[in-house]
Amino acid sequence: MIQHFPVLSVMVLFFSAFLIEIVGKNEKIRNLIAFLAVTASLIMLMALIPTVMIDGQVISYWMGGWTPESGYAIGIGYEVDALSLLFALLGIVAYWLSCVYSFGYMKGKQNLGHYYTLFLMLAGSSVGFFLTGDIFNMFIMMEIVTFSAVALTAANTEKLTAIEGAFKYLVNCSIGSSMTLAGIALLYMSCHTLNLAQLASMLPGNMNNTTLMAFALILTGFCVESAMIPFHASFVDAHTVAPSSVSMILSGMVLKLGVYGIIRISYIVFRAIDTNQLQIMLTAVGTVTMFMGVTMALAQHDFKRLLAFHSVSQLGYIITAAGLCTGLGLNAALFHAVNHTLFKGLLFLCAGAVIHSTGTSDLDSLGGLSKKMPKTCLCFLVGAFSISGLPPFNGFVSKWLIYQAVYDKAVETGNFYYVVVVVTALIVSVMTLASFVKVLHSVFFGQLRKEHENVKEVPPIMLIPMIVMSLMCLFTGLCYREFDTVMIRSAVSAAFNNLGYVDSMMGEGYSVGSSLTGLFEGGSVFSYWDPYVWLVLFLMIFAASILCFLLMQNTVGRTLKDGQDYDSVYGTGDINVDFKGSTYESADPKEKYEVFFSGEKAEYSHAGGSDLFWGFKYNWHKYYEIMQGLHSGSVNDYSIYAVIMIAILCVFMFAFMH
Amino acid sequence: MIIGNYIVSFILIALGLGVLCTQKNLIKVVLGLGIIDYGVNLLIVSAGFNEGGTAPIYTISDLLNGTASTFFVDPVPQALTLTSIVIGACVDAMALAIVIMIKKRYGTVDADEVRRLRG
Repeated sequence: MIQHFPVLSVMVLFFSAFLIEIVGKNEKIRNLIAFLAVTASLIMLMALIPTVMIDGQVISYWMGGWTPESGYAIGIGYEVDALSLLFALLGIVAYWLSCVYSFGYMKGKQNLGHYYTLFLMLAGSSVGFFLTGDIFNMFIMMEIVTFSAVALTAANTEKLTAIEGAFKYLVNCSIGSSMTLAGIALLYMSCHTLNLAQLASMLPGNMNNTTLMAFALILTGFCVESAMIPFHASFVDAHTVAPSSVSMILSGMVLKLGVYGIIRISYIVFRAIDTNQLQIMLTAVGTVTMFMGVTMALAQHDFKRLLAFHSVSQLGYIITAAGLCTGLGLNAALFHAVNHTLFKGLLFLCAGAVIHSTGTSDLDSLGGLSKKMPKTCLCFLVGAFSISGLPPFNGFVSKWLIYQAVYDKAVETGNFYYVVVVVTALIVSVMTLASFVKVLHSVFFGQLRKEHENVKEVPPIMLIPMIVMSLMCLFTGLCYREFDTVMIRSAVSAAFNNLGYVDSMMGEGYSVGSSLTGLFEGGSVFSYWDPYVWLVLFLMIFAASILCFLLMQNTVGRTLKDGQDYDSVYGTGDINVDFKGSTYESADPKEKYEVFFSGEKAEYSHAGGSDLFWGFKYNWHKYYEIMQGLHSGSVNDYSIYAVIMIAILCVFMFAFMH
Repeated sequence: MIIGNYIVSFILIALGLGVLCTQKNLIKVVLGLGIIDYGVNLLIVSAGFNEGGTAPIYTISDLLNGTASTFFVDPVPQALTLTSIVIGACVDAMALAIVIMIKKRYGTVDADEVRRLRG
């Protein structure tokens, strides 16, 4: 019976999606069907925990009973190991909470039947993506995720710009999935199979030019899905404009598809992660992504856009840790992936609550909501502390593990590069905290606006998911050891156990005689709270803060010397700062904050709630000018970045991994 | 020649990416997505082709008598191509529908003007 649960948990979601389209005219029936479908899927996946997580078995299921024939997988298989199940459970929990939240948040909107149809298709396809054992099936699920996500984003009738975000998202994801499909075609040419387990028994240590190219293209596709650096821009746009219940899914869950894909293909299918070059490439991409994400988040004026950039930054952490190829590193990556879904989902739900009550997400026109919405404020505090990595919340545990994993890697390899990575990770964490202090200051504390005096707390149906997520953030933070032992570590050992993965799918003893060369080493080294490492960590924080201080010192308080023209110091610029209402569309941080220093560049300068760290923005104005210029919003520019990154990845593979 | 198919498919993919990067008209951007799809489809269907192979269709009597040819064209890539064509058509239809909505809301289909989300 239990081996049917994976496929049933996907089918029930797809089936109900179409059922809603037929009988979902009535709101109550519709909500009931959606709720029952998500709950049934959740229960079925939870029933797999004892078998898969605790006993460490792998459940294999062949569609239509087409079992492998003389060593060749001819049918489509579902294969559930602990890694798949961890992500699938994470997904279905997020969908369950988002579904409950939608009952309150989307109430009274038009065409809700289509909303729930697309929502359940999104849920079914993401769960299917995690559970499937067939690489072409993964591609199809990825495409269904893209369709439903685009349609759900475009369906937000409240935001005029929703349609633009949806279009960019569609173009970006299509580039990624076309690359994946081209990679799959190349893979089929040389291996003549699409089954992940059979590929995993053929490919490792046996790569030729064709499979290397296939690896580069498939990795590109999953880098697009996980919003790595040049691909992130259109994801941020879509997360900003989607309805909040969907933003939570897009940001917390759909980005994890890419993470799972990268882990699955680089650890199990190609097993290329044990080469130094790929480790350095993945950690480099992750580190640049986390730094860029958090610095861009500091400059945002929109609540949801800020959260979306933080998502990009946290995904950088996850990929960095996953790219280390140590047991602790993967443990940290998976733990952070779970935590990211929890706290980012919580933060997006809080943003949704604020939008639901006040009708705006502009940080400069909000303020003092803690008196009017105390429960939302409390939930937001939990989420903000979690994402900034403050003890005892869950972000602290996983970020701590990431620092330790990178630090261990630096000690083990003696490579100075990993020291740079760990210092960057620390600085990014500090900036994350700074950024959330800004949000707290401008949304929940400070002065209440006149137009928001009649704001009410959101209804209980929206509060329940927020409170559940807060409790889960606290639970994974406090009981980290138990959670880690039961859920995460079994997933880590599943990712390192590719012999078992192949054997359970293709029949016992199949992997004997193939090119597998034993397991990874160092899969179970755990030592939390080592005081020696603490000391080094504090020294690093100290060094990082001195570095920050020196950077800040560079221009603060610089005075003009006699006879020196203003423009020769700061360059010429247009002094007409563009104010449109309260959104500073092209407000250049350099000119805007000039008035606080010496020469009065801007005639009128108004520092809103989102300008808390104006000194920082002022000193980094050159960086921000470049970065904001690069995020130009044009779909052509984003395609150019994507093409450049595809070229870089392919050239890298042939130059260094050949 | 099958090698010609591979070359043309990668030329089509490159052409499609080029269209995405250079064309400002959003309709043309959607066409670029389509061209990438066609290139990939050609690549997949070429992957299963065997020169001189028969179609993989047999009658029961062929199988019973053992007269079925063992050298045939691989049917799996053809199934994959069909799936991929369907998905590509869906992507194009959806993208064009979105472009219509963009025209309604923004009054233009120029990529340089459809960029209110930026920075």
